[in-house]
Amino acid sequence: MSAVALPEIPPARARGESLWRKAARKFARDRLGMVALGVVLAYFVAAVGVWLGWWAMGWPDLTGTKWEAVSGTHWFGTNIIGQDIFDRAIYSTATAFEVGLIVALVATAIGAILGGFAGFFAGTWIDEVLVWLMGVLDAIPFYLFVAAVAYALTDNPWAMHVAMISTFWVGTGRLIRGEVIKLRGMEYVEAAHSIGVPEVVIIFRHILPNTSHILLVQASVMFVGAIKAEVILSFLGLGIKDGMSWGLMIDESTKEVLAGFYNNFLAASLLMFGLVMAFNAVADALQDALDPRKVG
Amino acid sequence: MAGDAAAPVLRVRDLSVEFVTEEGVIRAVDRVSFDVQPNETLGIVGESGCGKTVTGLSILRLIPMPPGRIAGGSIELNGRDLVPLPDGEIEDIRGRDISMIFQEPMTALNPVFTIGSQMADVLCRHRDLTRRQARVVAAELLAKVNIPAPASRLDDYPHQLSGGMRQRVMIAMALSCNPQLLIADEPTTALDVTTQAQVLQQISALQAEFRMAVILVTHDLGVVAETCQRAVVMYCGSIVEAGDVASLFSQPRHPYTAGLLASIPRLRAERLAELPVIPGRVPDLLNLPAGCRFADRCPRVQERCRMERPTLAGTGTGGSLVACHYPL
Amino acid sequence: MEILQYALRKLLGGLPLIVGVTLVSFALMVYFGPDMTYLLLGKNPTPEQILEVRQQLGYDQPFLQRYLGFLREIVTLDFGVASTGEPVTALLAKTIPVSLILILPGFILGHVVGLLMALAAAYWRGRWLDKLIMAVAVTGMSISFLIVIIGFQIVLSSSDGLDLFPVRGWNSTSLGSYLTYVTVPTLATMFVALGYETRFYRSIIVEEMSRDHVRTARAFGLPESRIFFRNILKNCLIPIITRIMFSIPQVAIGGALLIESYFGIPGVGKATYEAIITGDQPVLKAVVSLTAILFVLVVVLTDILYRAVDPRVTIE
Ligand SMILES: Nc1ncnc2c1ncn2[C@@H]1O[C@H](COP(=O)(O)OP(=O)(O)OP(=O)(O)O)[C@@H](O)[C@H]1O
Ligand code: SF4
Ligand SMILES: [Mg+2]
Repeated sequence: MSAVALPEIPPARARGESLWRKAARKFARDRLGMVALGVVLAYFVAAVGVWLGWWAMGWPDLTGTKWEAVSGTHWFGTNIIGQDIFDRAIYSTATAFEVGLIVALVATAIGAILGGFAGFFAGTWIDEVLVWLMGVLDAIPFYLFVAAVAYALTDNPWAMHVAMISTFWVGTGRLIRGEVIKLRGMEYVEAAHSIGVPEVVIIFRHILPNTSHILLVQASVMFVGAIKAEVILSFLGLGIKDGMSWGLMIDESTKEVLAGFYNNFLAASLLMFGLVMAFNAVADALQDALDPRKVG
Repeated sequence: MAGDAAAPVLRVRDLSVEFVTEEGVIRAVDRVSFDVQPNETLGIVGESGCGKTVTGLSILRLIPMPPGRIAGGSIELNGRDLVPLPDGEIEDIRGRDISMIFQEPMTALNPVFTIGSQMADVLCRHRDLTRRQARVVAAELLAKVNIPAPASRLDDYPHQLSGGMRQRVMIAMALSCNPQLLIADEPTTALDVTTQAQVLQQISALQAEFRMAVILVTHDLGVVAETCQRAVVMYCGSIVEAGDVASLFSQPRHPYTAGLLASIPRLRAERLAELPVIPGRVPDLLNLPAGCRFADRCPRVQERCRMERPTLAGTGTGGSLVACHYPL
Repeated sequence: MEILQYALRKLLGGLPLIVGVTLVSFALMVYFGPDMTYLLLGKNPTPEQILEVRQQLGYDQPFLQRYLGFLREIVTLDFGVASTGEPVTALLAKTIPVSLILILPGFILGHVVGLLMALAAAYWRGRWLDKLIMAVAVTGMSISFLIVIIGFQIVLSSSDGLDLFPVRGWNSTSLGSYLTYVTVPTLATMFVALGYETRFYRSIIVEEMSRDHVRTARAFGLPESRIFFRNILKNCLIPIITRIMFSIPQVAIGGALLIESYFGIPGVGKATYEAIITGDQPVLKAVVSLTAILFVLVVVLTDILYRAVDPRVTIE
C-alpha cells in the first residue's frame, strides 16, 4: 500500500548491535542456557587455576599406592600406579579448554576468511577452488584424515590441533559462504562497492561482521567437537603427547575397567560429559537467541 | 452490521485473535464483527499487517495454535458456532462448506505431488468418490477455470505451471465441493496485472455459477470497487468503517477510508502528479495508543480522540458503520 | 539409457574430487608419511643399500612424479602387496565384508530409530514427549563414542555387569556367534548416532511442517495424521536421503576404525589404522582410493535418488 513508508535500510553496525542486544536479553531469559553457562564458567575457573599453577600441579606425582579408594586425601582415589585421579582430572580440564579453544578459534577464523572469500567471489575461479577444497576435505572420512595428519606430523605436539582445524573449518566455511552470497546483494554492500571501497575492506568491514552470530554458534559447536575428538585421538595414540587429558585417562582406564576398577574411567567420563553437555546446552541457547527468524 | 437479507451465511461477532510472543501478547484481531450474505462478495481492505489474513484464517481455525488463540467472539456458519467445535468437525467443514485460497500460489501447492493427486485428495476427503472418479471430476473442474487440456494437466507437478495457472488450480480445488463460502486472501497480489484481472473475473463468474458467498481480502481498493458489494475497512486489527461499496467510495466517513481513497490514482494522467498518501506509520501492536489508533496519522484528530477509543456505530445513512468521533 | 548417461556425466563431474582426495591423501600419508627405508633393510645397512632402497621406494623423485605414479597404480588397480606379505586385494576382500556386517546393523538402527524418535518429537512438538526426546538426544550427543563403547562393554560384557557378551574379538562363522560379537558394537554405534540423527530429522520435519502447502492441506480438511505422514514426510525425503547417503563413507571408515581397533575386530577400519601407524603404503593407497570412489559413487547415487523423489529435480 502506498501509505506505508518503506523502512530505510539500517547501517550494518546498528543492525548488528540490536541483534546482539536482543539476543543477550533472550539468552538471559533462557533458564537452562544460563545454568549451563554457569557450569561452563565453573569448568573454566578450574582450567584457569591450572594455568596459573594454583592447583592440580601434583598430577604426575606418585602420591599413593595402586587403586586407592576415594578418601580425604585422594578425592577420586588413585590410578594403577598410584597417581591422584582428582588432580589428573582437573588438570585435564585445562587441556580440554586448550584444545577446544585453540581449535574452535583458529578453525572459525579460517572458516570465516575462506568462506567469506568464496562467497564474495562466487562465480569466479576463487570460489570454485575453495568449494573444491571443501568438497575434498569432506570426502575424506574424519578419523582417517586426522590419523593421517597426526601421523604426517609425528612428534609434533600440534599435529592433532592441525588435523582438527583443517577439517573443522569446512562446515563454517560453507555456512559463511552461503550467508555472504546473501549479504553481497544487500544495498549497503553494493553501495560500498559502487563508491570504490576495496573488496577486501568490504569483506572484512561490512560483510563478515554481519555473520558474527553464525561464527559464535559455529565456534561453540567446534569447541565441543574438538574435546570429543581429542578423547578418541588420544585413545588411538594420535592425540595429546605431553601432559594429561581425559582421553589419556580413559585410555589408561581401559585396562583398569576390565579388572573392575572404575574410578579413573568415571572421573574422566563424568567430567567430560558435564562440560560437553553444558556447552551443548549453551550452544543451543545461543542458537535460539541468535535465530534471526525468532529475533526479527 | 445491519444486513437486510434474511439469514447470513457467516456471522462473525466480536472476534478477537491473539498471539503470545516473546515480547508480549499481540492482539492481531480486535472485536471484529461482520456478516456475509448468500451470494454476495464482501471485501476486507486495509494496510499490510492490519489483520486481514488472521481474520480469514481464524474463520477456518487455521491460525497456528500456539502461539495464536481465539481470545473471544463467535463465528457462526448458518447459525452454528465454529469456535467451540471439536477438531474433527472443523476438518469436515474445511474445503467442503468453506474453502480458502491464498496469496502465494507459488508455495501453496505441495511440490512433490501432482495437481491431480492433490485435487483428488480433497475430492475423496469430502465426497464419496473413488480416486479414478475423482480424476474425472478434477479434470472437469480444471476446465471450469479455463485451464487448457485439463486432463493432461492432472499429471503435472506445480512447478510445471505458471503462477496464474496455479492460482486457477487452487480455485478449482476450492470449488470442488461446492462450498457456501469462499475466502480469497489476496488471490491476485502475486500475479501480474493481466493475470490478476482474469483471475478476478473468474472468481466472479464462478461465484454466480456456484451460488456461493465470497470474502475477498485485498489491499487494492480498485479490486473492491469492481468486485464487491460491501466492504469492511480494517486498521490495526479492528474495523473502522463498514458499508456498501457504493457509499463507501462516494462518501467515506472515516478519515482513514478517505485517506486510502485519496491515495489511489483514479486516472492515468493523475499518476504523474504526486499521490496524496497518509503520512505517519501504523502503531506497533504491542504499544497501542489508549484512544483512537489512527490518531497519530489523522488530519481531524482532537483531544477527545486521544483519550477515548471510538466504537463502531451506525451513522444513520443506510447501513454504514464507522468508528470515529468526528466522521467526515 | 538416459539415466545411464546422466550417471556417467555425474561420474565424470566427480573426477576433480577424486583427484583432490588422492592428492591430499598422497601428500599426507605417503609424501610426508613415515619413512619406510629402514623397515625394508636388515641390521646395519650400508649407505649403498640405503640408497638402493630409497630409489626403489621412489624417495629420490620429485613430488609430482611420485603422485603420478601413485595415481597410475590406482587407475590400474595395482595395489601391490601389504607389508605383511599379503596381496592388498586379498586383504581387502577379507576385511571389507567383516566391516560391512559389523557396521551395517548399527548404522541402519541409528537412522531408523532416530527417524522414529524425530517423528514422535515433531508430531507432538512442544509437548512433554518432544521435550523428553530432545533432552535424551542432547544427553546422548554429549557422551563420547569411546565412553559409550566402554560403558556398554562394562554393562553388557564384564563380570561386574550382565556378562552376556564376549568382551572383545570377532567370530562370524555361525549366526549365533555373529550375534554375540556384533551386539555390543551395534548398540554403541546406534547409541552414538541416535542423538545427532534425532535432532537432525526433527529439525527438517518441523521446518517442513511450517510450509504453506501444509496450511493449504489443512484448509481443505485433510486429516492431521495424513498430512503428517504423507504430505510432510514426502517433502522431507531429500534431506533424509542426503543425510543417510553421505554418512555412508564416514561410518564405513571412521566408525569402523574406532570400533574395530577397540574390540580387536579384523575389519578394514583396523587394517587402515594399522597401515597408517606402520606406513603401509599399498594398503593406504587402496583404502584412500576406494574411499574417494565410494564418495563419488554416493554423490552420483544420491543425485539419482533425488530424481526419484522430487519431481523438480530433472536431468538437464
Ligand atoms: N504466527 C504469528 N505469530 C505472531 N504474530 C502474528 C502471527 N501471524 C500474524 N501475526 C501478527 O498479526 C498481525 C496481522 O497479520 P496479518 O497477516 O493478518 O496481516 P494482513 O492484514 O494480512 O497483512 P498483509 O497485507 O501483509 O497480508 C501482524 O501484525 C502480525 O504481526
Ligand atoms: S476518532 Fe479522531 S483520530 Fe480517530 S479517526 Fe476519528 S477523528 Fe481521527
Ligand atoms: Mg495477509
